[in-house]
Amino acid sequence: MGVTEPAVAADAPPEQLERWFAERGWTPFPFQREVWAAYRDGESGLIHSATGSGKTLAAFLGPVAEAQARGDLAPSGLRVLWLTPMRALAGDTALSLERALAGSGLGWTVGLRTGDTSPAERAKQARKLPSVLVTTPESLSLMLSLADARTRLASVTAVIVDEWHELLGSKRGVQAELALARLRRWNPGLRTWGLSATLGNLPEALDALLAGAPGRLVRGVSDKRIDIDTLIPAEVERFPWAGHLGLVMLPDVVAALEGSRSTLIFTNTRSQAEIWYQGLLEARPDWAGLVALHHGSLDPEARRWVERELKAGNLKAVVTTSSLDLGVDFSPVERVLQVGSPKGVARLLQRAGRSGHSPGQVSRVTCVPTHALEFLEGAAARRAAAEGKIEARRPVEQPLDVLAQHLVTIASGEGFVAGELLGEVRSTRAFRELSDGQWRWALDFVCRGGSSLEAYPEYQRVTEVDGWHVVRDAKIARRHRMAVGTILSDASIDVRFVRGRRLGHVEESFIAWLSPGDAFVFAGHALELVRVENMTALVRPAKAGAATVPRWQGGKSPLSSELADSLRDLLEDYLDGHAKEPEVGAISRLLGLQQSVSRIPRRGELLVEQSQSREGHHLFFYPFEGRHAHVGLSALVAFRLARREPASFSLAFNDYGFELLSRVKVELGPALREGLLSDKGFLDDLIASLNAAELSRRQFREIARVAGLVFQGYPGQPKSARQVQATSGLLFDVFKRWDAGNPLLAQAEREVLERELELSRLGRAMRQLAASLVVVRQTRRPSPFAFPLMVARLREKLSSEKLADRVRRMQLEYDEACGEMAGATQPELFS
Amino acid sequence: MTPCDIQGERLQLLPERAAWWPGGGVVFIADFHLGKAASFRRSGIPVSEATTDENLQRLGDALDKTGAAKLVILGDFLHSRDGRSAETFARFRRWRSSRALLSITLVRGNHDDRAGDPPSDWGIECVDPGTGLGPFGLVHEPAPVRGGYALAGHIHPAVRLTETGRQSLRLPCFWFGARVGVLPAFGAFTGSAVVRPKRGDQVFVIAEREVIALASSTNTVRR
Repeated sequence: MGVTEPAVAADAPPEQLERWFAERGWTPFPFQREVWAAYRDGESGLIHSATGSGKTLAAFLGPVAEAQARGDLAPSGLRVLWLTPMRALAGDTALSLERALAGSGLGWTVGLRTGDTSPAERAKQARKLPSVLVTTPESLSLMLSLADARTRLASVTAVIVDEWHELLGSKRGVQAELALARLRRWNPGLRTWGLSATLGNLPEALDALLAGAPGRLVRGVSDKRIDIDTLIPAEVERFPWAGHLGLVMLPDVVAALEGSRSTLIFTNTRSQAEIWYQGLLEARPDWAGLVALHHGSLDPEARRWVERELKAGNLKAVVTTSSLDLGVDFSPVERVLQVGSPKGVARLLQRAGRSGHSPGQVSRVTCVPTHALEFLEGAAARRAAAEGKIEARRPVEQPLDVLAQHLVTIASGEGFVAGELLGEVRSTRAFRELSDGQWRWALDFVCRGGSSLEAYPEYQRVTEVDGWHVVRDAKIARRHRMAVGTILSDASIDVRFVRGRRLGHVEESFIAWLSPGDAFVFAGHALELVRVENMTALVRPAKAGAATVPRWQGGKSPLSSELADSLRDLLEDYLDGHAKEPEVGAISRLLGLQQSVSRIPRRGELLVEQSQSREGHHLFFYPFEGRHAHVGLSALVAFRLARREPASFSLAFNDYGFELLSRVKVELGPALREGLLSDKGFLDDLIASLNAAELSRRQFREIARVAGLVFQGYPGQPKSARQVQATSGLLFDVFKRWDAGNPLLAQAEREVLERELELSRLGRAMRQLAASLVVVRQTRRPSPFAFPLMVARLREKLSSEKLADRVRRMQLEYDEACGEMAGATQPELFS
Repeated sequence: MTPCDIQGERLQLLPERAAWWPGGGVVFIADFHLGKAASFRRSGIPVSEATTDENLQRLGDALDKTGAAKLVILGDFLHSRDGRSAETFARFRRWRSSRALLSITLVRGNHDDRAGDPPSDWGIECVDPGTGLGPFGLVHEPAPVRGGYALAGHIHPAVRLTETGRQSLRLPCFWFGARVGVLPAFGAFTGSAVVRPKRGDQVFVIAEREVIALASSTNTVRR
């Protein structure tokens, strides 16, 4: 791999582009000139900047200028493929590319192909592809499954991957890598340009994009100033120690909104967005129509309306989630608020960049704490940003489920010769170290269902005919195409008024909580569930009264290493009396209390608190390594304790630490002396503890879906997604028992370790803990640090007791929340 | 074995996911789903035929343990038409020939309706739901029957148990109500659905090799 240092304007950019800009009264940025010249010279690369514009024209005008120079005025085939991670962005992107083409003298057409593309449009594209196609990795992969993919895609000269940082850390990024490898084989001269936000690992991002070929890293417009501050309420004394809603800050937020023309309010979850939207309207009923809600579950039409109004400057504020992290610029936005933990520096900077678009303006982001300790995070984020500590996004390595999917995809299209495809697959960064054994397994898996020792005549997914691998069964090919792209989310249920418009969608698990007649808040409405049918929840406006807010899954990202590190620095400075930040001042009373009840751990110390309550015996550990690593650490510690003495623990974790709750008191001293926190053999113990906690069983759900082991049914033939879930769990059990060597099981384990538990971070943390001074404090009451953990909702179980013993002891409380399958509860039968 | 009294009759519940009625010399099971693995394979999902072996092995264990002369399958013996694979059928035939004297009755369930009756040379008597057997009415989908206590399957019942500290376990169960009793799904490669029993119902969970009565409700069924 070679990274070319940006050469500052040494190359002459294509002349006609200079003219094109001059005619509009613009001057190209130096980085745009650099990219155009590099493109002309056949180079590929990655353009990055935290905020700011100009990246689209930098990437797109290279191919345009080349076409002008060559007189490629009305090509018969596809020239530029524009990959975007979000299909919601595709429309806007296509429009801006069309604008860029206006007056170019080219007769190029721009088309869209995503999951939303109409059958009519698809049919049109089947006859003739546009010159520029805006699409997603899933849709590109689907195009590869068509028999004539090669003739249709070999004419592509440039692929531009927008928001590459979004794809990079996910399996969709690998899907893109595989597709790119195929396009490069068909056209060795293909040039690839990525657009990315600032990352801590740009050379790696470039490497993944270009499959190790040399390329150019180009820095976009130099970042404008970004101010990070924290909203500090007048009365901090009664600020809550725990919680995540933060509505206590509502009056302060209202005051902040009054002072700016247009504000974006980012929250960490969709339910939090709903709650804040309701709260704002209750506080300021006169803002009805001026305050809007935008999140990923809302109907696309409703979202588009919000985006239009925001761009037009007609909205005072929009409460949103990551759904507005990406995409078009909203120039009227003057200020950004971040409710709750910023979680990471890169994310906060990206959100900050959504404001202050007019020239010369400063981007400003204000953190709104939801509980007391979050005051520190604002200050820590400011420090980290100033020091340039930005998070990396690690590319996914060797996901065999994606490989299996890809093999079936290609076999559904023109088919493949094993040796040739292997070379192509190995050319990607993700599979550069794919072993012959792994390759053989993947091939066996799609041809014979796994180990070649067993052969079942009815299993025929991919068939080998004269050395050529193809899918012969049209039904299997059709189902595969349907399943490609379901890497995405859980099955969801439409929410719709009885005889009326669609409001959006929620996860099935939420609706399963509700019975007809129950009220809940969604899309800014108080609704009453009427009934559920055909994957649709029919609702009507609720009568006044209490309503529940949906609790969506996901959205729980951990505090990044960079931010956590900065936070420890801040605490260290506080102990030394050097932390002058206003945020620290705001919670000095709480920090003082923590000091007197327990302790604030110094660098190199691990604080452990032990206390007793009606719930049982509590142990609190504070490694400050982020939620995901704490999930792993808590399971590991529970496992090691349970190995000494049979016991069951309930686990809770947050970004600062974790809690173990047990019925009997744990003697910590001997356990510590015997290596409770030793990093020796920690990986084995972790894996053993995970088996007990069944984390990998859950992770297998996604793998099973990607590898084509479960599917969600055909359109118009809805099937309970819960049955699919049951099936993936069931498949996991069956594989574990009868095909224990199946690499997909190992992958599930690895993915849990890497993604869910941040293994590399966990390993670092483990080594640090082993070297730490462990400070144990017995506390009579929960300390300010312990309090948020005690109210944390998520509890994991880990037990070494015999199952039968536990069951005997368990009190029978049928979980009211578990009326899972329709028809499963038939109490009337028994009356 | 764990005893359970119903309508004055004693059933012994087996961790093999079967119920033994000594009074009639009958072992009851429900929801075998023979051929499910094969039908998955036909859709391109590789599930090992070992699941069938395990089911047959476990069924043999239950029959040997009890010395039952008769087996009653409360529906969903065959999984689907796609699952009628030569491989799977050969396995069952082998198993059947080693137990030629066993009398087998199948109460047709919704899956059987679509999958069709088993081959006639297997010597399985197929009857429609509602057929009586002593004090019991044999059905697949749980519903009260006239003049008897209904034994059913179909819903693959499981319960979720919780204890302080919010630990929870989900276990397959036998679920006996006032007029209908539901057996756990016998097939190893089947899912389960969490049910909400009523006060007074008898619920027995299967925890590995034991069947354990849950203590909440009174231990006698209302007559």
